[in-house]
Amino acid sequence: MTIPTLFDRRLVFVLGKGGVGKSVVAAALGTAWARAGLRVVIAEVANQHRLSDLFATRDVARNTPTELAPGLFGFSIDVDKSTEDYLASHIKVRPLVDLLVRSRAFHNFAAAAPGLPELVTLGKIWELAVAVEGGRPVWDKVVVDCPATGHGIALLQTAGNVSALASQGPVRDQAHRIEEVVKHPAATGIAIVARPEELPVAEAIEAVSTLRADDFPVAATIMNAMAPRRFWPEDAPALGRVGLENPRASAAVQAALQAHHHATLEHDHLIELATGTQTTPIVMPDLGPVPIDAAALAILADALSGTRHAVDAVRGS
Amino acid sequence: MSIASLEGRRVIVCCGSGGVGKTTISAAIGLALARTGSRVAVVTIDPARRLASALGLAALGDEPRQVDIGPTGSWGELWALQLDAKATFDRLVQRHAPNPDAAQRILENRIYAHLSGAVAGSQEYMAVERLNELTEDPRFDQIVLDTPPAQNALDFLDAPARITHFIEGKSLRMLLSPGAAAGHLGWKMLHAGSSTVFTILERVTGAQLLRDLGEFLAAFDGMYSGFSERAEAVHTLLHSPRAAFVVVSSADDEPVHEAGVLVERLTHDRFPIGGAVMNRIRPMPVTAPPTRDELTAVLAAAGAGDPADLAERALAQLEDDRIRALRDRDSCARLTRLLGGRAPVQVPDFAEEPVEIAGLGHVADALCR
Repeated sequence: MTIPTLFDRRLVFVLGKGGVGKSVVAAALGTAWARAGLRVVIAEVANQHRLSDLFATRDVARNTPTELAPGLFGFSIDVDKSTEDYLASHIKVRPLVDLLVRSRAFHNFAAAAPGLPELVTLGKIWELAVAVEGGRPVWDKVVVDCPATGHGIALLQTAGNVSALASQGPVRDQAHRIEEVVKHPAATGIAIVARPEELPVAEAIEAVSTLRADDFPVAATIMNAMAPRRFWPEDAPALGRVGLENPRASAAVQAALQAHHHATLEHDHLIELATGTQTTPIVMPDLGPVPIDAAALAILADALSGTRHAVDAVRGS
Repeated sequence: MSIASLEGRRVIVCCGSGGVGKTTISAAIGLALARTGSRVAVVTIDPARRLASALGLAALGDEPRQVDIGPTGSWGELWALQLDAKATFDRLVQRHAPNPDAAQRILENRIYAHLSGAVAGSQEYMAVERLNELTEDPRFDQIVLDTPPAQNALDFLDAPARITHFIEGKSLRMLLSPGAAAGHLGWKMLHAGSSTVFTILERVTGAQLLRDLGEFLAAFDGMYSGFSERAEAVHTLLHSPRAAFVVVSSADDEPVHEAGVLVERLTHDRFPIGGAVMNRIRPMPVTAPPTRDELTAVLAAAGAGDPADLAERALAQLEDDRIRALRDRDSCARLTRLLGGRAPVQVPDFAEEPVEIAGLGHVADALCR
């Protein structure tokens, strides 16, 4: 039996340091799957509004799937609304739910209780992942655009924390069911995203080891925004020999040498990510200073699907 | 903005989108202020442990450590620390519990163990408490606070208010532990109204979790007013002219957009904005590009294997650099507009993230220019 790749998983959490491009990776992954004919939902956490920007669509509605592209939906998780849904599903008697939701004591408590927003958010993701209609799953793939590393890991750990905290009762049972899905080694996968820079790579390595120690299924590392390589070691000697006599030629040569140096550093960071996490990182190209739109996402989706087994896995599922 | 505008401010809060180099800029602001003779503490509350490397320290702890900033003379001092939410919470409980037994009860409570250590959100609560501790610390003239990425930076702004809400949840606390409130005037009335809420909640949480929660909240009896006062103190400080918020951005679209959202929010809530920093600006090429033939000839003379091909790639690179530099200028102009005409301080792209104090010095120089 082979280890399932990222592309075989149904529920994928995209995690990484702030600014590495988690939303772009989540959108590209969703695009790749939707173009292969799958029904995909990308869940956005904590009011990010990134999906509607990326797909240049109307705002992604709160707690309602909004179609971004054919077969691809966005879902913006609203904590207040989800808390209410959660209570409703347990209490069943609507007037009682309304009483609780309207009570000031409950609101103050819910707004301040650390961990409650995370549990409710994770619960909503779990609902998307297990939703069934007419005997088949509502979503073929659920992609989660997580908050930045520290908060993202805390989000993943919430279910475990709560089920450890409450020894019995409906909350505990629910947290336990969520934890089972979130940690499922075949159904769920966590993709750790980095950029080819020192600190994001260090943070990705730390995140992978934290998650593995806690039995979370790390499915892939992704190196986002690698500059396409334009110069090679054999170009360097000639470039190095050009003097300063011609300032215009010299400026072009300096640009080339700097780009070469930069690419070498980026490559070192890629090696570091690979060795530090014992993974083969998926590489996504830097598209330059252009806004990421549907066309750019299509290119990035190709870059993702071009990686190992991606296309086959998509077809097989 | 210039560093001069931050002189004399008690607290400087650096906020902005993730990945813009906020931690580095916080440390560089700290260094620049230390050079003016001030004794500065730089605090990072970002869960990522970035500050240590930029400050050349192997690991940062919860206790401030003095950073060697080179030959001192008339310079002040630079100290750095990493927020440890659990350590701060533990200290808070030990300092403010009415007696050692009460402190012990809290520290041993199961809910407390999870709340103080693992649960997200406690970082922001504790950042407020830590900031409060540091403003009372006579060793420091100024405190520079790094914050988590934008969405969570807003959480941080909300943290004092949320703590106050939690305290206002005392009606819930009483209904959860009627024994603790039995002597309280008006308790009967309160309890009559809330018992229904209690009964419904219990159906969801289970009796045991709700009981634990009640014990946990009851253990904090006598500490609530302190919580409230400190949250209020920080709230007042952050809104006073003794504070300054610095919005940090890179030239990428998304961070500039987020910077705009932050500026709007800070302005709306009347937080004092000290200025903005545009980080990692790339220089505009100073000359016109060479012609292809000209460059091919130069590269051929330098012994390139395929000079025409190399010339082509070098020209493409030069053009890419020019486009990026143009975009960076555009972004500066956009941020200036978002700030109502105040230009951000521009920090050039130093290719490599500074990992030593000397590298941080270059960033500090750029901030002072």
